[in-house]
Amino acid sequence: MSFLELNQVRFHVQELGPGAESGESTPAFMAHGLLVDNLASWYFGAAPRVARDRRVVLYDLRGHGRSEAVRSGYDVATGAADLAALVGSAAEGPVHLVGHSYGALVALRCALDYPQLVRSLALVEAPLPPSRLEEMRSIATADPKKLLAALPGRLREALTSGRRRAARARKSLEFLLRESSLVADLAAEVDIPDAELAGLEIPVQLIYGERSSCRPVGDRLLTALPQASLEVLDGGHYLSVERSAEVGEILAGFLHG
Amino acid sequence: MSDTLQTVGRMIQEVIGDDWDLDQPITLETSFGDDLELESIEFVSLAEALKVEYGDEVDFVGWLSTKELDEIIQLKVGDVVEFIDLCRSSN
Repeated sequence: MSFLELNQVRFHVQELGPGAESGESTPAFMAHGLLVDNLASWYFGAAPRVARDRRVVLYDLRGHGRSEAVRSGYDVATGAADLAALVGSAAEGPVHLVGHSYGALVALRCALDYPQLVRSLALVEAPLPPSRLEEMRSIATADPKKLLAALPGRLREALTSGRRRAARARKSLEFLLRESSLVADLAAEVDIPDAELAGLEIPVQLIYGERSSCRPVGDRLLTALPQASLEVLDGGHYLSVERSAEVGEILAGFLHG
Repeated sequence: MSDTLQTVGRMIQEVIGDDWDLDQPITLETSFGDDLELESIEFVSLAEALKVEYGDEVDFVGWLSTKELDEIIQLKVGDVVEFIDLCRSSN
């Protein structure tokens, strides 16, 4: 297990992938979604496929997984600054960024704010405007029970069955929803104007779920971004877990160099 | 077999750490989901510990990535022990 201190926060970071045989391949950095998510959904999902060709760096967002539970900085711009700091400390030169859900927003913001760090971008179910985030309505009530109830059955089961696991999931959610600035930070997030998206001159792979409420965002980004392509998979919002094998193949095909 | 079980059992105990409150010893029949209630992020720590212990010989992460989430939750310690022993005997 490895930890890195970035922007005064202790981040949990894990690496996958080949050493020597990856040669000069550009590393990929992957960001997960909000609240109940952590780097495990990439680690046991699409990351091992991506890591066959290149070094993969996974991290827990602030307040998530094993990263430090800090009270502030849950806005997308701070998330992007965290990711930029991680890229700066763990890689040389521009890298590939991959994100799911809120992590996709963080990756997109990072590419817009720190263009020198990013070679290409893969966005899985990026919600735009951020108020589209599936969990948003339950987040606004700051009620962990409602939030968990809104998750797909399998995911909810994995997180909340049993005593110890349920207690830990609840504790972590209560901290984020009630004791941190997350709810206020997310409520204050605004849309990214199409004019700003039009300036992103790097290849972007969009992946959306046919049955996700974020699905229309895929079409919007496809039009607004100059170098985007879109894959639509049979699934909902949690594609990184539900369709991890397909997502891994799409990422492996997309990431070059 | 028993060596591997002992090693895996020790790792699980280290991963769960202070939260450890299991009365029974870890056996081949102990399940990660119902008995140990291992969280996804603890599974990552276990996978990393296995990597340190066995190196490239045992590709635990690759093995798990071929499984569905429900399958992973239902895994027993014996499944992991069997996988490790299989990897090591074929090398």
